[in-house]
Amino acid sequence: MNERSGTDRPLLAVENLQVQFRTDEGIVQAVDGISFTIAAGETLGIVGESGSGKSVTNLALMGLIPQPPGKVVAGQARFQGEDLLGMSPAALAKIRGNRIAMIFQDPMTSLNPFLTVAQQMTEVTELHLGFSRRQALDHAVAMLERVGIADAGRRIFGYPHEFSGGMRQRVMIAMALSCKPDLLIADEPTTALDVTIQAQILEMMQQLQREEGTAIIMITHDLGVVAKLCHRVNVMYAGRFVEKAPVERLFAQPRHPYTLGLLESLPRLDGQGSNRLTAISGSPPDLAQLPDGCAFRPRCPYAIERCASETPTLVDQENGNRAACLIDVTTSPRVAETKRP
Amino acid sequence: MSSAPNPAENRLTPADAQPLLEVRNLRVHFPTRQGLFGQQRGAIRAVDGVSFQVRPGETFGLVGESGCGKSTTARAILGLAPATGGEIWLDGQRIDGLSDRQMRPMRRVVQMVFQDPFSSLNPRMTVGRIIREPMKLFGLHRPEHRKLEVLRLMDLVGLNPRFLNRYPHEFSGGQRQRIGIARALAAEPRLIVCDEPVSALDVSIQAQVINLLMDLKDELGLAYVFIAHDLSVVRHISDRIGVMYLGRIVEQAPADALYRNPRHPYTQALLSAIPVPDPELESRRERIMLTGEIPSPETEYRGCPFASRCPVAEVRCLEVVPALEGDEHQAACLLVDEP
Ligand SMILES: Nc1ncnc2c1ncn2[C@@H]1O[C@H](COP(=O)(O)OP(=O)(O)OP(=O)(O)O)[C@@H](O)[C@H]1O
Ligand SMILES: Nc1ncnc2c1ncn2[C@@H]1O[C@H](COP(=O)(O)OP(=O)(O)OP(=O)(O)O)[C@@H](O)[C@H]1O
Ligand SMILES: [Mg+2]
Ligand SMILES: [Mg+2]
Repeated sequence: MNERSGTDRPLLAVENLQVQFRTDEGIVQAVDGISFTIAAGETLGIVGESGSGKSVTNLALMGLIPQPPGKVVAGQARFQGEDLLGMSPAALAKIRGNRIAMIFQDPMTSLNPFLTVAQQMTEVTELHLGFSRRQALDHAVAMLERVGIADAGRRIFGYPHEFSGGMRQRVMIAMALSCKPDLLIADEPTTALDVTIQAQILEMMQQLQREEGTAIIMITHDLGVVAKLCHRVNVMYAGRFVEKAPVERLFAQPRHPYTLGLLESLPRLDGQGSNRLTAISGSPPDLAQLPDGCAFRPRCPYAIERCASETPTLVDQENGNRAACLIDVTTSPRVAETKRP
Repeated sequence: MSSAPNPAENRLTPADAQPLLEVRNLRVHFPTRQGLFGQQRGAIRAVDGVSFQVRPGETFGLVGESGCGKSTTARAILGLAPATGGEIWLDGQRIDGLSDRQMRPMRRVVQMVFQDPFSSLNPRMTVGRIIREPMKLFGLHRPEHRKLEVLRLMDLVGLNPRFLNRYPHEFSGGQRQRIGIARALAAEPRLIVCDEPVSALDVSIQAQVINLLMDLKDELGLAYVFIAHDLSVVRHISDRIGVMYLGRIVEQAPADALYRNPRHPYTQALLSAIPVPDPELESRRERIMLTGEIPSPETEYRGCPFASRCPVAEVRCLEVVPALEGDEHQAACLLVDEP
């Protein structure tokens, strides 16, 4: 798992993406100007707080934000030279499921409850790869077998509700990998999978990556998955990236207080049972009413006065990480206990 | 916690108390049909003889491979999947086979947090209504106090109370999951069946929710059936753990014993596959990789259902179905007690 050189021409380059939603509480700034690139053959991890904008970011790239109430208010996303955000829906639909595939966080929203799994799986390959019905079916069964569905040749004729949560998730993974996309966006793809099958699926993704040079954006809360699969990691908080680092350094030398808090919240297998877990104190930020200055400040054990007025941007740290924080966490003292706002 | 559920009802009880939930030899088979007239051809044996008990104030963890029957077991306890065999006792009352109407009062005792948060939330109700609904149904709190209680619950699970009037689709995956948890808590049940309740949460919010569940257990004697694929979470929260494989429990033990000394080869493989959040360590780990054909829940097995993938299986494993044996620490394997 070595660091990739940043000189590869990126497959996808996202620049200043901003997405808003209109709600009763006001305008929700779900994604607030994020930028990143990913090269062929690379795996970029996106981790971050629940509700911080990870799914919305990727739905925006795929043109799947419901408008209204949502709106992509700014940004560019160059994919193989074309701007995904400026494309017509028809052009984007052609790319989706073919050159870019997405594994959605919620399997049931992307599987049609009224069609058998066979019908749904064959549709993609018939459409994008020009398979015949028979070829498509054989291929679909083979894919289901590879994701560990027993008796796939028979189960494929079942409906989604007859599958377990993890089996549905695997159906989606099989569908997404079917077309050998150039870019795979995986939004919490293994949340419903036990560790043995998860290991098998991650292995499969890595193999696809080795063979086809697939780029993978991996959104996950599972830091074990991040450690296993990702080359680089971006940490998201309140609609922004607050830290970017190669995977080893993110775990060994985190530089943003939120990343630190995240790593400290992990339950450890070697830990004693039934003692309390550490959670980051305070409540998640209100994206309709972000405070001035740093969005993490109200919960940050390192915060100083300046944090309330200055909004930090990503800057290079002494170890090469990029972090959006005014403070040097390696030398600054922690305030003993931050209060709930 | 500041709410005041009837303390007499939720008293902490010693470990030797009557079980709150007892599942005896539960079977759930789904018929598979084929042909023009839909003749029954066979059955998917989703749950095939599962037994366990949960006492007040106890957490029973249920782990196992995807598709092994965890959710179906959970749904059967709630009366949402038909038990085709065995018995389910809740608070001294037999509840399997109860009609929807008969089951309704029992929902005051047992609630469920569903694995798929989105499809279990009514898309036409605001969060506020979703969480208030159980209070109305069971006549909890004075009507004018319910809104306050809803706000309190939202805050407890880390949802911004300002989201009160939002609809489910306006939330992120992890936020929806917490709506499901708040709704279950709103009924003030004595047992919550949690099916992957924290799988969509980042580790910090996950820690917050787990701490909350554990506090409620200590303060109110709440009991849980806790299904999760994250084995460090399960270890952390559970008193006892059952490991399921292909519709059966193959090992059952106190949490610490199970992790310190897994006896069934499947449990051993499962524990060895846990990815650790440390790239350094992760690259040096040794795994027991399971190979061999994954068995189908449609087949009836003569021998041990795990034999086809077991790294240590012997010929006799193909002939005898091993029973769950042992006192505190039970394992269903013919080979466990041999060196
Ligand atoms: N349709 C919508 N209307 C209003 N707000 C929305 C809508 N969809 C998403 N949001 C808000 O946008 C924010 C970002 O949501 P997103 O789904 O991207 O979070 P996430 O990082 O994927 O979280 P999770 O890890 O829980 O899935 C959330 O706070 C959410 O409440
Ligand atoms: N309504 C149904 N009709 C037919 N088969 C079903 C039905 N519900 C579940 N099954 C099958 O029963 C088996 C067990 O499913 P269950 O949902 O209980 O698994 P699980 O252990 O919860 O898995 P996961 O971890 O993936 O959620 C699976 O093979 C599934 O396909
Ligand atoms: Mg999401
Ligand atoms: Mg399940």
